[in-house]
Amino acid sequence: MADPADTRDAALLAPIERTGRGFYWTVGLLSLLILWGAIAYWTQFDEGLGVTGLHQPVSWGFYITNFVFFIGISHAGTLISAILRLSKAEWRRPITRMAEVITVMVLFIGAGQILVDLGRPDRMLNIIRYGRYQSPLLWDATSISAYLTASLTYLYIPMIPDIAILRDRVGKRKLFYSVLALGWTGTERQQRVLNRAIAILAVLVIPIAVSVHTVVSFVFSMTLQPMWHSTIFGPYFVVGAIFSGIAALIVAMIAFRKAYGLESYLKPIHFRYLGQLLLVMSLLWFYFTFAEYLTGYYGSEPEEMKVFWSKFTGPFWPFFWGMVLTNFFIPILCLMRLGRRTIGKVLIASLSVTVGMWLERFIIVVPTLSNPRLPFGEGLYFPTWVEWGELAGSFALFALFYVLFTKVFPVISIWEIREGREVGLKEVEERLLTYLPDAAEPDVVGKRTEVVK
Amino acid sequence: MRGERSVSERTVRRLQWLWLVVAFGLIGGIITWIAHLIRTAWRLGDVPSASIGISIVSIPIFLTMLGVILYVFVGLRGDRGER
Amino acid sequence: MALWGMVIDLDRCTGCQACVMACKAENNVPPVGAKEAVRGRIISWMQVLTEEDEEHPGEVKRFVPRPCLQCDDPPCTKVCPVYATYRNPEGIVAQIYARCIGCRFCMAACPYNAKYFNWYRYQKEAPGQNPDVSVRPKGVVEKCTFCHHRLQKARERALAERREVAPGEYVPACAEACPARAIIFGDLSDPGSEVHRLARSPRAFRLLEALGTKPKVIYLSEGEGRG
Repeated sequence: MADPADTRDAALLAPIERTGRGFYWTVGLLSLLILWGAIAYWTQFDEGLGVTGLHQPVSWGFYITNFVFFIGISHAGTLISAILRLSKAEWRRPITRMAEVITVMVLFIGAGQILVDLGRPDRMLNIIRYGRYQSPLLWDATSISAYLTASLTYLYIPMIPDIAILRDRVGKRKLFYSVLALGWTGTERQQRVLNRAIAILAVLVIPIAVSVHTVVSFVFSMTLQPMWHSTIFGPYFVVGAIFSGIAALIVAMIAFRKAYGLESYLKPIHFRYLGQLLLVMSLLWFYFTFAEYLTGYYGSEPEEMKVFWSKFTGPFWPFFWGMVLTNFFIPILCLMRLGRRTIGKVLIASLSVTVGMWLERFIIVVPTLSNPRLPFGEGLYFPTWVEWGELAGSFALFALFYVLFTKVFPVISIWEIREGREVGLKEVEERLLTYLPDAAEPDVVGKRTEVVK
Repeated sequence: MRGERSVSERTVRRLQWLWLVVAFGLIGGIITWIAHLIRTAWRLGDVPSASIGISIVSIPIFLTMLGVILYVFVGLRGDRGER
Repeated sequence: MALWGMVIDLDRCTGCQACVMACKAENNVPPVGAKEAVRGRIISWMQVLTEEDEEHPGEVKRFVPRPCLQCDDPPCTKVCPVYATYRNPEGIVAQIYARCIGCRFCMAACPYNAKYFNWYRYQKEAPGQNPDVSVRPKGVVEKCTFCHHRLQKARERALAERREVAPGEYVPACAEACPARAIIFGDLSDPGSEVHRLARSPRAFRLLEALGTKPKVIYLSEGEGRG
């Protein structure tokens, strides 16, 4: 299957073999943003969290928002890769690798946000030495460890045939690829082992992914604070995560499609299907949001209503209504009719959702803290350059990891594309036949028509 | 030529074993950590049920992943001799 | 085993904040400075809340001194990831500065906002501080401890003099300082103590009682607004 003489997919190996000027420009720009983030964090590490805009009562702000946001994006990989594999959707083939890479890279960034938020990062090992499982933060630590391990494995194992192609075709890093390829030669037995392993992982990784964002939501819903202590948070956060994950995936796909000339692999039909998924998730997200706020409003509990009005008409109204606009109205308008200019519409919708989901996390975290139950003054939150720098640096670091990955491994799964060409058509035809009614024998039909006559 | 190939092949095999040891070490480390937290909660009487409940779910998951990695390692490399 | 609790009589409280100042002096609470105060970072283990009159906005209806309520079912200890805050057998919710990693989960979980954070290194060790209370480093959470160091001192003195700790020998700084004697402190489990008697007064109520935190600071008030 991994025939080195097959040069149809040379475009997929090109980024690994050659490096253009665009790469260096990109890395340069990302490095500047990372530098800003590094300086911001160094200032904070040196002087204390006082350099941020946090205070009492708003003691959680950007960093926790970023934490929830980035962990949320990691759900892209699971949905596309695992669920589409399990449902045997053929259109997943050029997308799975990119989705899996997003998951792995963004989990590091997301977990890093918690470490950035600590007042005493020098004591972070205390979580390992003295952790308490009654605390939702430990549930986070375990669940994210499980997800990171599972998604790393789920990225690596399906990549083995591609690494073998690199080992045989590409001149450099031969030892590296040889070690990682685990002696892959494409025999039937090896293929069976690989397929079975991938199938097991695909089933395993879905409940792990659901648990990750559920326990992230439990950080808020296990407290007694107004508009946090809500039973809807688990599913709400998971839906939001899948929503933001698909959007981030689409943005990444469009970026690399342009940068590496992958137009023949990532076709409008792929974006059309992803756009439809994004539309469905937007409606689902709106349903959950509507249920959450209607319940609060109808009950009219005074302390909850303080937070409610703070979001609807109070100091947080631009962020709240901005969120509704970017998460619901813009995606619906863009994705309603995906006939023409598919990629443009899907790109606008995805960028809008990325911004909107960050706003959604912010709207969950800050207004509740800003309106305590007891009669303190309302705490307003103004982030400083440190927090903006950390946000920019985090995005840039994620992008840099991603770009560096594409220079070492193929960003589209070569063997799965080949499998689609060689085996996929036949498999799909056979499967389709099993769905349709079985063909009856001719003489039975003749006998029946005789009786009817 | 053959001698050269077997030398680099030996290096590759050794590094692959190292790769497996690292994977086992990381996942084994996480499992050990979870067990350590159960033990601490038990000794301090601090809601041990939470630790036990979570480990009943998480440890089998990590063990399954370890199993899959081992399966792939043995399954792929074991086939090289039959080329 | 003692169960330390406090009764605060809101009908006596004049809002003079002597309790606040005594607490800060006793516990080496750092003055954060005017700039930090504007940014909302004042550390005030005992804080006097002002309840506004709804019908006459701007007019203060009542002063409510709020120390740490030392809950019997504390929401803060549940969420701490590293055992840096826990409820000790005598009912005091302890704060271990050396263990705290500064995640501020307990601050987010406390419905009374009784926990404070050291956003900078607000002070170093210096002469004039109370030597019985440790000076907190940057990046950790702190809160009212019912002047637990005074309990330790009283116990050690009693041990040295081979006697029991007398009732009234251990009293936090706020209770000692209040000129209106609005703060009464003692052992809630001792049927003869004044706090035990006052906790059962018809004027007694607990703040945010419906949340089920079981606070051990009980308020007395003649009028409405209970809980």
